[in-house]
Amino acid sequence: MPARPIIEIENLSHTYMKGTPMEHVALKGTNLYVEEGECIAIIGHTGSGKSTLIQHFNGLMRPESGKVIIDGEDLSQKKVNLKTLRQKVGLVFQNPEDQIFEKIIGDDIAYGPFKLGLPLKEVRERVKWAMEVVGLDFEEMKDRQTFALSGGQKRKVALAGILALKPKILVLDEPTAGLDPKSRKELLGKIKVLNKEEKLTVVFVSHNMEEVAMLADRVYVMADGTDVLSGTPKEIFTDKEKLQRHQIGTPETVKILYRLSDLGYKVKTDAFSIHEAAEEIMKVLAGTKEVSNYVK
Amino acid sequence: MSNEFEISRNITIGQYVPTGSFIHRLDPRIKLLSFVVLVLAIALNTSYLGNAVGLVLSLFLFWASKIPISYGLSGVKPAIPFIIILALLQLLFQGQLFSGGTVYVDYGFILITSESIRLVIVSAVRFIEIIFLSSVLTLSTSTTEMTHSIQSLLSPLKKIHFPVHEISLITTISIRFVPTFAIEMEKMMKAQASRGADFGTGGWWRIIQRTKEMFPIIIPLFNIALSRAEDLILAMESRCYTPGGDRTSYSVYKAAGKDYLILVVGLLFAVLLLFYPFPF
Amino acid sequence: MKKTLTVRDIVIAGVLGAVAILLGVTRLGYIPVPTAAGNATIMHIPAIIGGIMQGPIVGLIVGAIFGISSFLNATVPLFKDPMVAILPRLFIGVVAWLVYVGIRRKSEYLAVGAAAFIGTLTNTVLVLTMAVVRNYMTAGVAWTVGLTNGIPEAIVGTIVTLAVVLAWKQLGKSQKSKISKDL
Repeated sequence: MPARPIIEIENLSHTYMKGTPMEHVALKGTNLYVEEGECIAIIGHTGSGKSTLIQHFNGLMRPESGKVIIDGEDLSQKKVNLKTLRQKVGLVFQNPEDQIFEKIIGDDIAYGPFKLGLPLKEVRERVKWAMEVVGLDFEEMKDRQTFALSGGQKRKVALAGILALKPKILVLDEPTAGLDPKSRKELLGKIKVLNKEEKLTVVFVSHNMEEVAMLADRVYVMADGTDVLSGTPKEIFTDKEKLQRHQIGTPETVKILYRLSDLGYKVKTDAFSIHEAAEEIMKVLAGTKEVSNYVK
Repeated sequence: MSNEFEISRNITIGQYVPTGSFIHRLDPRIKLLSFVVLVLAIALNTSYLGNAVGLVLSLFLFWASKIPISYGLSGVKPAIPFIIILALLQLLFQGQLFSGGTVYVDYGFILITSESIRLVIVSAVRFIEIIFLSSVLTLSTSTTEMTHSIQSLLSPLKKIHFPVHEISLITTISIRFVPTFAIEMEKMMKAQASRGADFGTGGWWRIIQRTKEMFPIIIPLFNIALSRAEDLILAMESRCYTPGGDRTSYSVYKAAGKDYLILVVGLLFAVLLLFYPFPF
Repeated sequence: MKKTLTVRDIVIAGVLGAVAILLGVTRLGYIPVPTAAGNATIMHIPAIIGGIMQGPIVGLIVGAIFGISSFLNATVPLFKDPMVAILPRLFIGVVAWLVYVGIRRKSEYLAVGAAAFIGTLTNTVLVLTMAVVRNYMTAGVAWTVGLTNGIPEAIVGTIVTLAVVLAWKQLGKSQKSKISKDL
């Protein structure tokens, strides 16, 4: 018998300002599941309900209708221990660097663990672990002042602040938005490590298709408050017709491969990871001497 | 429960209700000026008859604005317990100060006279009058109209180097940023709750601890506000904004005959409330 | 005292006014500590910060915005009276500035703290004075409220203002993280 998914969303709906002239339907009949240890990407346009959806994962929003079951616990029940839930599901908001309020890095990361009432020794170990996972040197950085950090470093501190809660599930809302390419790449690497080595279940919202292609095991596409499409990145990005219908961008690699195939070259259009795509392009280049000469 | 963090959607600042009534179409400057004068006059009147006049006037204006009465009542309803508590307190403790008139009760420190009863009733009625008047003003005037009127009404003060334009710009910036900050705050409360913040768990008497529990929200709020300010300063300076410069306005109001008529009527009512010796 | 407002004055007054309005229309402006009212207000703090950062005019303007907002949003008769809701609020930032400038030479910390403490008391004292003058309460009641409300409120106000100003001005002795303590 397969284990139960760690996140199960069934027919979830949510309406803001219900019963007022400003009523706004954010979610209608969304379904989604996440298996333990998976890395799931949620993509979709602004206003498609992504943020509302992920806020249901840790009880910031309670299901209005439909079901949200996290690690076997049904959140539509009246009595839910929000504190343990939020410890289990670490939710990292957009621009999390804004939420830093302590003067010293170590204190800010330790805020959550202290709130859990853990002893100092345990808190220190967790902070050390979290800082090292995100790539901050514990001894060097823990007593530094938060305001002197760069944007990318601040985001690492904020991520460490959530990791120090030792969540089973990590939910990230546009984790790399506004970061420079180097920090972006670094952060994506950390998320991969957390998923593959620390065995965290990861759910992330993104607008960047390269990121999705690189990280996700499966992808959900949201539109108008519901999940319209799901599958592996390969399935999603190679379904040209559906991509166009839902106006979803594709990774640059996929675009290049499709253009080559349109021009009559024989390439595998589902080779969307940078490495595979490069190989495909090399094959084309090797097969057409003129082209390679032309390129030179 | 799901509304625990919904701040931004529940803020009703500049809650304009367009009904296209006569009141809505008045020159906003006339509206604002008449409002200020009438509120001051009502605040200073202490007679029964004067406040009856004020009450009728404010209800009439509300009716004339064609705004659903529920909007006005929503201002009064939550205040009813406070009105009652205030009335009781005034009745029990203010008697000594208002010992004039007929004495009804004189028991220990409690002294209830016709004057102290007047105080109780007048305070309650005055409150209702001002609620309705300010509802008429804020529900029938958009925030843009409001800031333009403030600027226009204060403009004579430019002669004495009062920074009229600057004041109105400040007002605009304030109103503009309330919803922005509300959204930021909502996000912040959710983010902090996600990492285990909970507010109000310290012992009730531990003032310092209780205050510090609010830091995760309050400090980022001010930080966000002040860093937004830095961005805005830079943007304004790089577009060569100079305080005190001469400038023209995009929207120009022109008061017509009916506007002046309303102003005169408003002023007459105010003079009446302020100076007429009401018999009771 | 400078004559004209700078761009900085205008913008800072504007955003602090927005914060004052926001604190007034949400429950964020109330800190639940034991006072006669059941909580301490921090809505006046933008006025204090305005006074400390940009001088008396900005302090006065932010105070006025706070006052008008509190007048328009009032649900209690006491604050639906402009004499109580608006007039006293004009002085908060001005007094805070005077205190701050007076002490600044000695110590920045002390100056900010004292400005917040006395600025908060200014609010309490003037509002209660007007409440008595306008016959909403007797002097006796006002004294009781003043002591039970004013003192905790002044403490709360001082802590919050210090934290905000020091965080913004990035002042702070280099200290060690709580987790660096010996076990």
